[in-house]
Amino acid sequence: MIDLLWLVPTIPVIGFLILTFSCGKLPEIPAGIIGAGSIGLSFLFAILAGVDFMSMSEAGIHSYSQTLWTWISVGSFEAGFTLYLDGVSLVMMFIITGIGFLIHVYATGYMHDDPSFARFFAYMNLFVAAMLILVLADNLLLLFMGWEGVGLCSYLLIGFWFKDPYNGYCARKAFVVTRVGDASMALGLFLLFASLGTLNIQELMVLAEEEWVVGSGIAIAVTLLLLGGAVGKSAQLPLQTWLPDAMAGPTPISALIHAATMVTAGVYLIARTHVLYELAPSVQYLVGVIGMITLIMAGFTALVQNDIKKVLAFSTVSQIGYMFLALGVGAYSSAIFHLMTHAFFKALLFLTAGSIILAMHHEQDIFKMGGLRKDLPWSHALFLIGTIALVAIFPTAGYWSKEEILASALTNEHGGYLLWLGGVAGAFMTGLYSFRLYFLVFFGKKTHDGHEVMGLHLQGPLVALAILSLIGGFIHIPVEEVFHAHAEEHHVSLFYQAIMIGLPLLGVLCAYLIFIKQKLDVEKLAGSGFGAKMHRFFFTQWGMDWLYDRVFVFPYVGLAKLNKKDFIDSIYNGTASFTRYLHSVVIETQTGQIRWYTMTMALGVLLVISIGVFA
Amino acid sequence: MNVDLFPLVLYSVIVIVLIVALTAVSHLLGQKRKDHATDEVYESGMLSVGSAQLKISVPFYLTAILFIIFDLEAVFLFAWAISIRETGWLGYAEVFIFIAILIAGLVYLWRAGALEWRSQRQRDDRLHTIGKSGVVNIDKKTGKAHKTEQPKQGGAH
Amino acid sequence: MSTDVLIDLLQIIMLTLTTVVVMLVAGFKREHGLVNVLTTAGLAASLLVFVFVDPVLPLQATELLYFDEYSLFFSALITLGALSVSILAYPYFESHNSHNEEFYILLMTATLGAVVLACSTHFVSFFIGMEMLGVSLYAMIAYPVHAEKSAKFPLEAALKYLIMSGLTSGLMLFGIALIYALTGTMFFNEISPAIEAQDLASSPVIIAAWLMIISAVAFKLSLVPFHIWTPDVYEGAPVPVTAYLATVSKAAMLAVTLRLLLISDAFQYEALMLVLTVMAAASMLLGNLLALLQSNVKRLMAYSSIAHLGYLLIVIIAAASIPGILSVESMGFYVAAYFIMSLGGFAVISAISNSGKELDMISDYQGLFWRNPWLASVMITVLFSLAGIPLTAGFMGKFYVFTNGLQGSLWFLLTMLIIGSAIGLYYYLRIIYAILQQPGKISKQDPAMQAIPFGTHAVLGSMTAIIIYLGVYPMPMINILQSLAAAF
Repeated sequence: MIDLLWLVPTIPVIGFLILTFSCGKLPEIPAGIIGAGSIGLSFLFAILAGVDFMSMSEAGIHSYSQTLWTWISVGSFEAGFTLYLDGVSLVMMFIITGIGFLIHVYATGYMHDDPSFARFFAYMNLFVAAMLILVLADNLLLLFMGWEGVGLCSYLLIGFWFKDPYNGYCARKAFVVTRVGDASMALGLFLLFASLGTLNIQELMVLAEEEWVVGSGIAIAVTLLLLGGAVGKSAQLPLQTWLPDAMAGPTPISALIHAATMVTAGVYLIARTHVLYELAPSVQYLVGVIGMITLIMAGFTALVQNDIKKVLAFSTVSQIGYMFLALGVGAYSSAIFHLMTHAFFKALLFLTAGSIILAMHHEQDIFKMGGLRKDLPWSHALFLIGTIALVAIFPTAGYWSKEEILASALTNEHGGYLLWLGGVAGAFMTGLYSFRLYFLVFFGKKTHDGHEVMGLHLQGPLVALAILSLIGGFIHIPVEEVFHAHAEEHHVSLFYQAIMIGLPLLGVLCAYLIFIKQKLDVEKLAGSGFGAKMHRFFFTQWGMDWLYDRVFVFPYVGLAKLNKKDFIDSIYNGTASFTRYLHSVVIETQTGQIRWYTMTMALGVLLVISIGVFA
Repeated sequence: MNVDLFPLVLYSVIVIVLIVALTAVSHLLGQKRKDHATDEVYESGMLSVGSAQLKISVPFYLTAILFIIFDLEAVFLFAWAISIRETGWLGYAEVFIFIAILIAGLVYLWRAGALEWRSQRQRDDRLHTIGKSGVVNIDKKTGKAHKTEQPKQGGAH
Repeated sequence: MSTDVLIDLLQIIMLTLTTVVVMLVAGFKREHGLVNVLTTAGLAASLLVFVFVDPVLPLQATELLYFDEYSLFFSALITLGALSVSILAYPYFESHNSHNEEFYILLMTATLGAVVLACSTHFVSFFIGMEMLGVSLYAMIAYPVHAEKSAKFPLEAALKYLIMSGLTSGLMLFGIALIYALTGTMFFNEISPAIEAQDLASSPVIIAAWLMIISAVAFKLSLVPFHIWTPDVYEGAPVPVTAYLATVSKAAMLAVTLRLLLISDAFQYEALMLVLTVMAAASMLLGNLLALLQSNVKRLMAYSSIAHLGYLLIVIIAAASIPGILSVESMGFYVAAYFIMSLGGFAVISAISNSGKELDMISDYQGLFWRNPWLASVMITVLFSLAGIPLTAGFMGKFYVFTNGLQGSLWFLLTMLIIGSAIGLYYYLRIIYAILQQPGKISKQDPAMQAIPFGTHAVLGSMTAIIIYLGVYPMPMINILQSLAAAF
């Protein structure tokens, strides 16, 4: 059945086409069936392919590639539509189709009664298709196509409710900021092709090891450029500012694109090209450092947010920071493992948040919630499961993956105490901000009534995700073969183990003391001069947005204003009007008079013959 | 340019010189009179009457063209006729097909009414004007033909 | 005459037979539908005849015709075009309450001429084919002239085409006569040896002869400076005829021209190459410039065809310095791609037009996507392809042109190609923009919302499918082209 692999990305494309060409005339139920059903079918074929792949693995074949066709083959340049399946892409494929399916099902309930129901699912299907192409691509060109495709869908979906200009602004911001990374990535691809002459990923890995010296300039340049793309897509420092704004989209989007799948594309890219990074150890270390700083910073920022989705958004940034940390220390399989468990519990958290938002009639401010555990028993239970998985409390899925990352940070040769300490501090922060969110929403004084919106298509996926969040840590991901040199076996002493288990719990305890027992008056702290400043500082992502506004946006807008009759613009406008002028000149020749026409013919012949004979 | 263009140039020069010379000589030597008949069209001493642009019925051209076409096709038959022994049965078959197509064309023309002098509408109009008996019914008051009740003749074709 | 010859001639025999049958049926039973079905069936049969019977290739069948894979490919393309036009013509002329049947006779004779052109390696068959195509086209262009309310001004268009075409035929004959006078042969492949034997290669007469022939060809292909008739004729002709003119007549002419230039070794004349280069550059630039602010889609297609033929000329010029096999392959691809795109585009115009009213202004297409998403997406695909956006046939075609230009080091022409394509993008996107705009008012009588006959749907669907197929998966087509190009 593995030869049906091509169906996995194709079915969502078909779904997209059907939904698009219905021109919004399709009623909600068939649109929902097509939208979610196509992903379900795709998931089914992914499972079939996966089963085959597993039996192939047992026989010792660890990768499978399916050339659908060769698109262009000119000289040495060959671009094919080839799908490549190995352990990593298998895991990614399962995450995308499986979680994607659950979220689609949820979305049929969440988007109920939206006038653009079909458009929503069209975009979602297109996104899934693009994401599948991204992870199944055999060459970087195809990967880049998927990469841009998901970027486009992200833009379309953030601005889904485009009638509110703010959403349009958010979509634009996400698009422009990730574009910075994409440009860098494209340069990286050009450089790779120029130096190694191919874009096929597997060939590249082999060629790079043969031809590049460890730490050589070209390796550093290429990996830095690719890293640029990765941090853009995965919202890491310094390009993380777009992700919180991306929450302007409908909540299922936040769950699927901005938590579970697309934002982890950067992690996937680095894991995919890890051979290159090993040839540039300094860049690899940089990856780890970026991850560490991002995870701490996002943790602090999450602590002071008051929008439920923004808290989750920053926690996403922070968790991806963990994945980068793992990549930086060479623990690729831990990174992919955390990617998977994170997809489980973050999707759960977002979708549950969506249910809460629905129940609260689109109220997202956590200070206006409170005491909801009685009103929303389902959401409460599910959110709690998601939160403990996020905080990495033993033995949830989050625990296993985070523990692996921290252990490798400590023991791997690229790791060290610095990275480990950062990670552990982040774990504490996670405990603190996650439970702050939990306590504020479900405990304390009740201010508003909420009514649980019930339905199989809403709660069903949530329960499935909750189960995965609890037991997902026991799933074995078959990636050893891909990262074969790195079969990891960590022996960490009991002391460190205790710290890693204990610190998140400490964070939870602190949250309990502060937000339930009110041992520390947060209001007062935030009201004091220094506290207010700190709050503001954290709230604005450590001033990053502010800084970017000052450093990039304002000067740019200023320049643009200053230069309204811009010199460069006038070149373009000049070209355009010059072209129009030329048009107006040459169109005069079309008089419609046959005597003129025959004369031009005669003159033409004369001209042609005189050029020919006298030249 | 390795062609000797001299003869061509010489020829052109001679032509131009000759024309200029003849015109100039007749201009110089000829007598100049301006009578009322000088600008008349010379036609055996008779004044011309009416316009030279006669209206000739369109079917005339059509028939003429058809005649020329079929006439020309006959040329091919002559070519075949003189080589009839050399071309043999194959030539016979080819000419047979040729004539068959020609006949098909003729049949089509006939059916399409191209061989009729009047078009269908003209025939209808004629039938309106001339009764079945062939008498032209002119209304005395209006001077126009009566609309006699004729059976409709099947529309345009 | 052996049976092999008869087998190879089968396609032409089928076409002739269909012509005669259609003529007789039209004579005896005037019924538009019947004649249309007969014509379509005859064309389909001649298109498919070689699927069932294996032709003997290559074969010189009589002195005038030469059959090889190259001629077969172009004949198939031509017949496909004629088939589509026949299908599109039915709904178009159905509203035309005059004699419609003769149109199909003309269509058949024109197609016969085009197929002869594709098989020609002799000046006589070249000329016969050209005239057969041309004379039928004059009448086809003027066809709706008797209609009580004709959509356009067909008579004007036909007269223009007739007069200018007559001029070129004379030119062409003059060129042929000069070549025959000097070399004593009319076979393409005997010209070059004869010239060498008599050491005529630098004779101005032979160069003038070639240039006359090239000028005549350039008129038919509407290359600058012989392009001037194109917009008027395209606009004045009824849409199905415009489609025919834009596809079949061009493809047939290109097929014979490339063969003529390649096998008669015309590339050795630098003067000829210079003239071709000037024509190519001027066509790319002028064609695109003329199209820039054009508000009539048919005229716009005419100008865009001037530009596209200019692009194609790059391939022909590059053939002087690169292997003939690549240029034949490239030209085959480009012609096929352009053929399909134009057919698709005119099929859309035809689908919402009839002989009483043609909707060919850009404003008529405003909001088409909301009125008829199917037609709109076909049109958008066609326009993307014409603009050369990746994953369409047009992109692959342009890619080929580019490769040819690079290999032949034609930097000047490549620069013009890029400038031309950039300008081209503007006017193609202008139509797409109009299509995607919100429609003003939607009325029930909107022609874009009327039911479209099945045949038109089939043409629209298959053209779109081929455009995307050739863009996404061009390899099978490339393989076919490579095998047929191997003969050169």
